[in-house]
Amino acid sequence: MKATFRKPTEDPIWLKALLGALAVGFIAILLLLPLVLVFKEALAHGLSAFWAAMVEPDSLAAVRLSLTAAAIAVPLNTLFGISAAWSIAKFDFPGKTFLVTLIDLPFSVSPVVSGLIYVLVFGAQGWFGPRLADYNIHILFALPGIVLATIFVTFPFVARELIPLMMDQGRDEEEAAATLGASGFSTFLRVTLPNIKWGLLYGVLLCNARALGEFGAVSVVSGHIRGVTNTMPLHVELLYNNYDYVGAFAVAALLAMLGLVTLALKSLLEWRYADELAAMHRH
Amino acid sequence: MSLTVDSVSKKFGRFPALNGASFVAPQGGFVSLLGPSGSGKTTLLRILGGLEFADSGSVRFADLNWLDMPARTRNAGFVFQQYALFKHMTVADNIAFGLRVRPRRTRPSKAAITDRVKQLLDLVQLPGLEARYPSQLSGGQRQRVAVARALAIEPRMLLLDEPFGALDAKVRKELRSDLRRIHDHTGVTTVFVTHDQEEAFAVADLVAVMKDGRIEQYGAPADVRRNPRTAFVSEFLTA
Amino acid sequence: MSAIGLKLVPLRSRHVLPGFSLSLGFTLFYMTSLMLIPLLALVLRPAGLGLDGFWSAISTPRVLASLRLSFGMALAAAAIDSVFGFIIAWVLVRYRFPGKALLDAVIDLPFALPTAVAGIALSTLYAPNGWIGSLLIAHGIKIAYTPWGVLVAMTFIGLPFTVRTLQPVLSELGLEVEEAAATLGATRLQTIARVVLPMLVPAILTGAAMAFARGAGEYGSIIFIAGNIPAVSEIAPLLIVTKLEQYDYAGAAAIGVVMLAASFVMLLALNGLQSWAAKRR
Repeated sequence: MKATFRKPTEDPIWLKALLGALAVGFIAILLLLPLVLVFKEALAHGLSAFWAAMVEPDSLAAVRLSLTAAAIAVPLNTLFGISAAWSIAKFDFPGKTFLVTLIDLPFSVSPVVSGLIYVLVFGAQGWFGPRLADYNIHILFALPGIVLATIFVTFPFVARELIPLMMDQGRDEEEAAATLGASGFSTFLRVTLPNIKWGLLYGVLLCNARALGEFGAVSVVSGHIRGVTNTMPLHVELLYNNYDYVGAFAVAALLAMLGLVTLALKSLLEWRYADELAAMHRH
Repeated sequence: MSLTVDSVSKKFGRFPALNGASFVAPQGGFVSLLGPSGSGKTTLLRILGGLEFADSGSVRFADLNWLDMPARTRNAGFVFQQYALFKHMTVADNIAFGLRVRPRRTRPSKAAITDRVKQLLDLVQLPGLEARYPSQLSGGQRQRVAVARALAIEPRMLLLDEPFGALDAKVRKELRSDLRRIHDHTGVTTVFVTHDQEEAFAVADLVAVMKDGRIEQYGAPADVRRNPRTAFVSEFLTA
Repeated sequence: MSAIGLKLVPLRSRHVLPGFSLSLGFTLFYMTSLMLIPLLALVLRPAGLGLDGFWSAISTPRVLASLRLSFGMALAAAAIDSVFGFIIAWVLVRYRFPGKALLDAVIDLPFALPTAVAGIALSTLYAPNGWIGSLLIAHGIKIAYTPWGVLVAMTFIGLPFTVRTLQPVLSELGLEVEEAAATLGATRLQTIARVVLPMLVPAILTGAAMAFARGAGEYGSIIFIAGNIPAVSEIAPLLIVTKLEQYDYAGAAAIGVVMLAASFVMLLALNGLQSWAAKRR
């Protein structure tokens, strides 16, 4: 038996070991360690302390606020995403590419800037702020402002899942339905929706995760009123700055679990519905 | 200095891709490995090129234990079905690649490399295309560049894996006769894989008809056609 | 139901499918009211200062330091993420080992974890009494509450971008070009340096640009670990927030415009990179 060499496209063992160690080490130290720390600190004084921190009234208020904001922002953004994808994928019109690029804008803008713009419109020195205050309508430092900021930072998610997906799927089926006399809504519900359901779910999942976790934009518009206008991430900040580490990490652990569940569902969707979602990787 | 392939076998997992393939070809010969997909012809070619390793068997060529050498040192030019050209390099850089990666001692001068590239482009009938990029070439042109690149290293052996598979019929015919012409001009021992029997018979001196990892019959085209030794061979040739 | 669909086809243009003006109309209305008008407010606000006023608002030492910190560290973080992103993508695409799928999923953690959570975790980890911070302080290295903390946080945030941009390109590259290089006599090192890396340059640059853009604008993951000392470890987004708290709307907007402009430039650069990459195929 002659000597066996490695295939020419394989790296030598020492290189594999080195690169593998670097990769795993970097990921473990940079990414995993912080995650582990969150849970360790949350449970540092035992499960009962963790639970007490969770059911503390201000924490519950923060959870309620986060959920409310998400419950408004996510459906609205889903509606937007469907609407945008329908118009872009099923029709041709000038400026379409520009529109698609514009939809991605919130992703490249700093979250603080995303909040800043609403302060400039609705704040005390803003365009509409003083006038609305006359009618006792407060956008900033209240739920509406928080919802607006959340909507801004999360509205691309559903749209950018659906646009390439629906573009990839073409118009044939919808056109067939049209020739058979179906109305727009009917066509959408019966023909389009079943085809896009996994992409839609994926987009909604990511949108929701970001909506619950957003910090920078909401921080600017919120006013940080404890127990009233603090979402979960803002409450974490408040507790941490007040040296209530168990409290801060308890709420943080809840958010981290949300993140992990999102990751798991995301992986599951990617794995099972790779084909339907393949369009998003190609664009 | 003949090429002697002796009982080469290879398994992928539990699948026996090659099951004791043997043949002998004279130096400078033109051999075609012919067979349906799954017959092991590409695996055998890749073993000859050093891209796969045999589980057992031996290959002797140019007085060397071929299978003991890594691909890098065999000096066997390989032409891939999908060309595998370096897309970020010009045609000239692609062809010159094998000369430029040589250690300083054996590396030709810049001027010598430029000359050689020009010669090879003339040989494959693509004069003047030095500065083009692969994305600017047609399929047939890309294949010619791939052949030129493999020939640049003055290979002991030229290996081609279904080189014309991705091209249309007319281009295939042109390229196949060009390949024969190049072979006759350079005298390099050539082994090429195809599933197209018309192509194999038109171009090769010796044809090896393969099935299920073995060579069912081996000989000059005329002989094989007249005296098919097994039912498979006669069916394959008339199909 | 069908009446609604048919009624909304605009008179000027005819479309095969129904719902064009409804969908496009809603889309444009949504984007204009929620995005474009507020952005307009941002762009117009510093205009009230005039060019001179804008310039003096931007060029105070504190503002310049914050911009230098945000963009400078983002660049450094993008570079680090590019190097390790390449290594990680290489390992994930080319090697086989147990637990690879798990490692692959972990890469997305900075995407999935809310920024405030990452922020307090990183801050606690790298503080002088933290798990990593305590190890480093013994060698005189301080991370938390210094500009280095900013670097660590930005590196954390940017890693998924570099890895995820490279992975598909690397796997699409396939092994044939490496096999070709080997048959032509190249050593493994020569193959990687002359064949593989050059083909990956567009993807590496794209990932780096995305990591850079994200790092420069990031807020939540950084402010806990940063120290936030003006002109030393204060990032630009934090300065915007500080100015807002001081009711210096114009000053905050001025910095915001600079950051927005940088975002636009990055967006254009990324588009340019994508089309350059597409041309080379």
